[in-house]
Amino acid sequence: MTAKSLRVTIEAVPLVIQPDEADVAAFAPPGRGELVRLLPARAADRAEGIRRFEVVVDGWLFEVATEPAVRAELRDRVARSAAEHHATARLTLRAQIPGRVVRLWVAEGETVERGQRLLAIEAMKMENEIRAPQAGTVEDIRVEVGARVEREDELLSLG
Amino acid sequence: MSLRKDTQPQPPFKTLLVANRGEIAIRIIRACREMGIESVAVYSDADIDGSHRRAADRAVHVGPAPATESYLRVDKIIEAARSTGADTIHPGYGFLSEQPALAEACAAAGIVFVGPTPETLAQLGDKIAARLRAAAVGVPVVPGTFEPIDVTGAQGRATANAEAERIGWPLLVKAAAGGGGRGMRRVDSVDQLDEAITSASREAVDAFGDGSVYLERFVERARHVEVQLLGDNQGNVVALGERDCSVQRRHQKLVEEAPAPGLTTEQRHELHQLGLKVASTVGLRNAATAEFLLTADGEFWFLEVNARLQVEHGVTELVADIDLVQEQIWIAAGRPLSARVLASAARAATPQRHALEVRLSAEHPALHFAPAPGRVDRWREPSGPGVRVDAGVEEGSLVSEHYDPLVAKLLVVADDRPHALARLARALDEFEISGIQTTLPFHRWLLRQPDFATATGLSTDLVDRRWQPTELISVAALRAAELAAVAALSAAGATGAAGQYDAQPRQDGSGGDAWWRAGIGEATERLT
Repeated sequence: MTAKSLRVTIEAVPLVIQPDEADVAAFAPPGRGELVRLLPARAADRAEGIRRFEVVVDGWLFEVATEPAVRAELRDRVARSAAEHHATARLTLRAQIPGRVVRLWVAEGETVERGQRLLAIEAMKMENEIRAPQAGTVEDIRVEVGARVEREDELLSLG
Repeated sequence: MSLRKDTQPQPPFKTLLVANRGEIAIRIIRACREMGIESVAVYSDADIDGSHRRAADRAVHVGPAPATESYLRVDKIIEAARSTGADTIHPGYGFLSEQPALAEACAAAGIVFVGPTPETLAQLGDKIAARLRAAAVGVPVVPGTFEPIDVTGAQGRATANAEAERIGWPLLVKAAAGGGGRGMRRVDSVDQLDEAITSASREAVDAFGDGSVYLERFVERARHVEVQLLGDNQGNVVALGERDCSVQRRHQKLVEEAPAPGLTTEQRHELHQLGLKVASTVGLRNAATAEFLLTADGEFWFLEVNARLQVEHGVTELVADIDLVQEQIWIAAGRPLSARVLASAARAATPQRHALEVRLSAEHPALHFAPAPGRVDRWREPSGPGVRVDAGVEEGSLVSEHYDPLVAKLLVVADDRPHALARLARALDEFEISGIQTTLPFHRWLLRQPDFATATGLSTDLVDRRWQPTELISVAALRAAELAAVAALSAAGATGAAGQYDAQPRQDGSGGDAWWRAGIGEATERLT
């Protein structure tokens, strides 16, 4: 890793690469059908040196975050030491689409398996089932049937 | 040699109100423009900046974003027509197009409805009634129930289970008032039946205001073919060829083409005759489509009739050389089928061109086609020979979660299917969209599939069997990460230090200032 190494993260896929300057110099510049756009910085981005891009490749749309690799690794170390105090990861599920909650199949305290149906959000007149990305216990349900949710709203947590 | 008519006929109407939104509203407004008819758009709160609103000569606000409070409100549509002096209403597809209520209200208000009579709509729009009528005139129908299924009581549930066992698994629960795959569920075993019926029924209430559902066998490896029908008020009905719409997902069509590949002239004749038979039982007028399954054994089984303009009408227009919307409007005004339509119908079983359409929807093809509403940033349509784009959005448009995710239809026409496929691949390559995820990557993938190219793989389960986007999106993601790295480092280099990266993306929906596409030099220049 050199001083100019980058960490490039695509959360949705997920994908992380950490190229140095020489690697980046070898990457081909944008070609036909490839689009790159700088997105507005979020509150903490500037301090962290994070830049976000919207990138389109072959019709696929990605949000990509870049940051200096040194900073990212420092943050990893902090996160690792914090994780030692919390053995089990708690996962908060957020709405990926705006819509209306039309089904709630689980209750707080219920144990669910990976892939189990949790709730359904109706958007564009279709019901979209949200399934558990990991096994766990349902905690802190923040929505009810009929509730409207916006993108990124918290739905429930899996402990 | 016949004399060309170089004068435009008098427009049949003064003002036409389009009771719809998005791409189909714009399509109808274009027809009005060419015919010299003033157009009126209606719009909800969500469509204040909608491109259909601006395309029309005038526009009337009809209520809040939810369709049940705006585009589905017959009273508000009629009031909008009254206040603008519209003498005719075109309903497009979806929304109120198949609701007898709008056609009835038009009749009561002395406004011409572009479509069938309310009676025909009631007969054909109710898919259970349509199945009964088709069966009565000897048209083979897909096995299933001929009455609505009700699971609210124990007895109803028992009846539903018994009917389902008789039909066999897998089966489909379908909304009697349905369309576009809404209110439809596939059921593989008896334990899923109750819930499928309940949820399909609820979706049907939301979408159509009618929760009646019925059961129908799910025919495996079938193709979906349909006949374009056009009838005048004098009782003449013709078939203008067929379309193949086998590429579907969640019962939503993704790709349509005309003619249906691989049929013999005799098969086309047979199919068109079946469509005409269905139409004749209900005194069809105006545009309608009779849908059939083509089984692996080569049999046509009637599915339903849509007594309205279809989303995919454009492929027929390109092959039949007919403007279906303009013909609809002439028919509504009482004109008999034109000589042009009759001549086109006469050669419908021997088509000389091939057209394909792909639907671009705001859906994520790697996330089970989940809705992906958002704001369109870049929107560059393909053009050139044989290409047509019917779009409902443009740069800066907001794709709302309140409505159908269809944002545009890309159509191509050429002398034959191989040339049409090559043209479609070229046009898909030219399409540039950002800001929203669309089904573009799916269509590019589909065109690379050898059995789609040869049409041997056409069946309604093609997408479910074959679409596995993980590798495609992974390869694209890696490239996206590289591109972001290039942009990040070149920008840092240009300013001499990370953290002085002050270029702001545009906020106003006007230009495309923060975009790069042709090299780092340009990118650097724009960022500094």
